[in-house]
Amino acid sequence: MVTVAIRLLPDDVVLQGRPGEPILDTLRRAGYSHRFGCRRGGCGVCRVDLVEGSTTDGAVVSEAVLTPEERAAGVRLTCRAVPDGDVTLRLREDDTLRCVSPFLARYVTRSSLT
Amino acid sequence: MSIMRLGYVHARVTDLEASRSHYSDTLGMEVKAEGDGKLYLKGWDEYDHHSVVLEEGGVGAVKFGFKVSHATDLEQYERALQQFGVTVERMAKGDNLATGDGVRFISPTNHVFELYHEMDYAGTETGTLNPQTFPRHLRGVGVPRLDHTLITGDDVEGMERLFIDCFGWHISERVIASPEEPTCLATFLSAGHKAHDLAILKGPDSKLHHFAFILDDWNAVLRAGDLFAMDDVPVDIGPTRHGITRGTTIYFFDPSGNRNEVFAGSYTSCADFPTITWTADQLGRAVFYHARELNDRFLSVFT
Ligand code: FES
Ligand SMILES: [Fe+2]
Repeated sequence: MVTVAIRLLPDDVVLQGRPGEPILDTLRRAGYSHRFGCRRGGCGVCRVDLVEGSTTDGAVVSEAVLTPEERAAGVRLTCRAVPDGDVTLRLREDDTLRCVSPFLARYVTRSSLT
Repeated sequence: MSIMRLGYVHARVTDLEASRSHYSDTLGMEVKAEGDGKLYLKGWDEYDHHSVVLEEGGVGAVKFGFKVSHATDLEQYERALQQFGVTVERMAKGDNLATGDGVRFISPTNHVFELYHEMDYAGTETGTLNPQTFPRHLRGVGVPRLDHTLITGDDVEGMERLFIDCFGWHISERVIASPEEPTCLATFLSAGHKAHDLAILKGPDSKLHHFAFILDDWNAVLRAGDLFAMDDVPVDIGPTRHGITRGTTIYFFDPSGNRNEVFAGSYTSCADFPTITWTADQLGRAVFYHARELNDRFLSVFT
């Protein structure tokens, strides 16, 4: 399977995303989490900043949730944004990358790297 | 003179087709009309034309409709609202599809509410003459009816005053910061005999926390949870129980991120019952009785 590398700052964790997979789904599949709410692009809680690369939303995101200005400035919703290729993202200061399942982090992350 | 119930919720959705699948296939509501970028749906045990209106574009609530018991109530409530001092206007028959004329007002929390007395009669599949207990071929969860809504805003106490002074509602339960600092953080308002028809949580104005559908019992709530797993519906929490209202529950999200709830097994409330009070230090138990702690989404995820 062709995967994309999703690099998450400031922790510098790299996860392998599957084609068409929103970033938040990659995190959860790999045993990680960060701040999220509705998982459907409605609450805006999962905002992160895109540092490198580009993404496409997997479903419509309302401009009331993510304004065109924010989007132009690189703000993305992890529950909707699907990487177009390798990407680097930075979590906000009041957000943290959590490894909720070291088991998954170990086996999913490692096997997808090999 | 009385408000009988929350008659409709009109919400915004980002994708009408994804919403149709959620509300119609998963929740089992019936699409009664569509067009103009809107869907009108009803639960199987609702007699009126619709209880949910979905409008394409954005997220969150557009407005909430309360149905009053007599046509003459509208004038009286209009006067009461004017006296209370909120923005009130008349709405004409046909402003809302299949809905009669009424009174529209903006609440202290900046939500739009509409009072109306007439809506086209749609009836139910089981009918009103020697009916069976439920329609045999319900889809998905098969929600019978809309039950209540929880919204957020700053002036929680203002909402209490408005619904008590203008409409004669009562407060079944409320959350205060502490006995020494009795700021109201949440209130559960009853139009009649339910633990709540409308609840307000302290938070940003104009926002929707959730709207809820009633189910028969805990087994139906559990079965709804199974269907959410099958249909990949994001579950916020549950199945569990609320301390407040004692209802069993699942919070989940529609395809646009609006929070929905299925709810069952609350208690009967009366206007002469004392108000149950919860303090903020017990909020975890008050909201999610078993876990006894809030998840990080309850106080931060709104549309
Ligand atoms: S979790 Fe709600 S917008 Fe992403
Ligand atoms: Fe509720």
